[in-house]
Amino acid sequence: MSQFCPRCAEPAATADQFCEGCGAALRVNRSGTVAAAAAGTQRPCHGCGQPFATQGRLDGEYCPCCGLHRRDGTDHIEIDLGALAGVSDRGHVHVRNEDAMALGQRVAGKPATLAAVVCDGVSTVHTPELASRAAAEIALDILLEADNAPEHTAEDRAHAAVAAADRTVARLPAPGRRGAPCCTLVSALVNWPEPGRPEITVAWVGDSRAYWLAGTEAEPARLLTRDHSWAAEMVTAGVLDTATAMADARAHAITQWVGAGSAGEPGVLTLRPAGSGALMLCSDGLWNYLPGSAELAAVALPMIEHGTGALKAAAALTAVALERGGRDNITVVVIPITVRSPS
Amino acid sequence: MTEARGFTIDIDQNSYLPVSGSQVDAIVTVTMTEATDAAPPTDNALEIIIVDCSTSMSGDKIVSARRATEAAIAELREGVSFTVIAGTETAEQVYPSLSASAMASARTRAEATAQVQRLQADGGTGIGAWLRLAAHIADQHPGAVNHAILLTDGQNGEHPSQFAAALQDCVGKFTCDCRGVGTDWEVQELRAISSTLLGSVDIVADPADLAADFRAIMGTAMGKRLSDVALRLWTPPDATVQFVKQVAPTVEDLTSRRIESGKRTGDYPLGSWGAETRDYHIKVHLTPRHVGEKILAARVKLIQTGSDEELAQGLITATWTDDSALSTRISRGVAHYTGQVELATAIQDGLTARKAGDQATATARLGRAVALAAASGNDASAQLLERVVEVIDAPSGTVRLRAEVTAADEMTLDTRSTKTVRVRGGS
Repeated sequence: MSQFCPRCAEPAATADQFCEGCGAALRVNRSGTVAAAAAGTQRPCHGCGQPFATQGRLDGEYCPCCGLHRRDGTDHIEIDLGALAGVSDRGHVHVRNEDAMALGQRVAGKPATLAAVVCDGVSTVHTPELASRAAAEIALDILLEADNAPEHTAEDRAHAAVAAADRTVARLPAPGRRGAPCCTLVSALVNWPEPGRPEITVAWVGDSRAYWLAGTEAEPARLLTRDHSWAAEMVTAGVLDTATAMADARAHAITQWVGAGSAGEPGVLTLRPAGSGALMLCSDGLWNYLPGSAELAAVALPMIEHGTGALKAAAALTAVALERGGRDNITVVVIPITVRSPS
Repeated sequence: MTEARGFTIDIDQNSYLPVSGSQVDAIVTVTMTEATDAAPPTDNALEIIIVDCSTSMSGDKIVSARRATEAAIAELREGVSFTVIAGTETAEQVYPSLSASAMASARTRAEATAQVQRLQADGGTGIGAWLRLAAHIADQHPGAVNHAILLTDGQNGEHPSQFAAALQDCVGKFTCDCRGVGTDWEVQELRAISSTLLGSVDIVADPADLAADFRAIMGTAMGKRLSDVALRLWTPPDATVQFVKQVAPTVEDLTSRRIESGKRTGDYPLGSWGAETRDYHIKVHLTPRHVGEKILAARVKLIQTGSDEELAQGLITATWTDDSALSTRISRGVAHYTGQVELATAIQDGLTARKAGDQATATARLGRAVALAAASGNDASAQLLERVVEVIDAPSGTVRLRAEVTAADEMTLDTRSTKTVRVRGGS
């Protein structure tokens, strides 16, 4: 009995969709790139101020008045759910934001179950932004779904989320000469088997990363994921050192992805941190500039206090990537984690 | 890119511009696919055959002209309207006798042939008058695929302004393929007609080849499906269209043919269209924008003139980037056709200099033409050039002017200088 109705505080079973006491939906509180893009389609042209009314036409992505490529509201997104927050930015160079994020919490729970997904569309394929958005949304659905099979572990759920994303992206249309849509994915699911004792489950495909950020030795800051990329595989295989591998033109070529033709198992791990800190998910638009967990922690942690400040931390990390060039889309999700010290 | 009613438009461009970059180049390929290979509109086509009957045509030429006209008449499909005009200092309608057209049938073809056999060479050359009569007859066939063949062997005797006015009055009424027989005609004169009236120009040095040539022209003309199509170009507010050129099968600058058809929209008439492909080079100047901005530099539509029906559409875009690996890539099509246009200009410049006795310029320009023809695989131009210059080293364009060049070779090179080849290996 770890959940309570947010309206009447009636205890609720994890599988309950509605409160037994007052009938309120035990809904999740969520948002992400898709919500921002839906709102963005209502915006006028950023060049000439004309409202867009040409959806569905071949050139509907361009302003009929001044010809500018339409901005869909995903240039800069900030989402603050309190217990976790995310920032996604187009950067200085790319025409579109092909990253996507989705984050949410099950409000019936105290502390709430938290989940977040960051995806990075592979820019050489057809409609990468649709791949990343679809993958992030469906993966979050699965992560936050009311649990009808309590025997499933959090890692099972993380696997199921990646598999659902894979199927969804593979079904996207892939006309023309460009490759079928695909993307990376990194997800986090934070459960609380006991108050103050979080269990964090991370899953990833490709080179989007999860970091544990902390300033203490109880649970030291570190990179949690291992990239599915050419460079990482060369280093793992002992063929090249990190510097040489990263300098290669193929360094960022991913070796696993979400979408048609994917192969290999996602990386999945569980962390039960011994000390407080923050979990951070990001696309390579951030870690290309700031790969070290200590540097990342130095930027993010000063913003976090008593489990608050997630948005400030995500914004500070994004700002660093933009200052250093912003050559890629940047997406950062921060989840502050407070661990009660064992007594 | 898009397909409607059997037309496709493909765009070949590098859409990436460097920081502060403002020039967008694109090759627009317009194709009518075989899918529309239905029966051509026989009941809605007019053929006008104009034969020079000036005194200079006496002898072999008028005999060949008669044969060629007969051959053309034989090629007329059943039901197509036609007329034959004999040109001297005035224009005389040979068949039918009234200033109207006849409908092709066994009877009318036989009657027309009988009249053509009586053609005599006696009189002057007033091409403007011939065109005016052709336009008068074409006026009776609005919206039809109106086409003329114009054959002459000499220079026009009219005042240039009189001729120019007559030519302008024909625009949009019919397309015209011009043929010069022998070597006493003026390339510039016939090129002005074919260019203005969206047709071809060629030399038939030997009158004996005329009949085969007329047969070929008629074959192409009878294959036209749509009478009058145009490129409709939309550009954003701060953009300037620098040029619109047809670059294949021949070079034709269409920039000045623009007819405003709406807000920031202009039409470039292309004439009639059959199962064929033509390429256009469009250059647009844009106000530079920030890195990461993308803009629609031009929307290209193929429309049917009159009905405004949209037959196909393509988009030319521009994206500013600071990645020089992206912005320095040159589209294969743009590079190729830039070379083909330069080739045509180099040939014409070289021949002009040669006529003026400027050996140095002629050698340099024709040498450049030889190098461009060799590099682009334009074998036809390369072979014609070799009759005018002695090629020492083609890749570097090292040539020597030939001392003895026949008028026919020189005129053939000049006339065909605008013929281009498509990108090797397809595009």
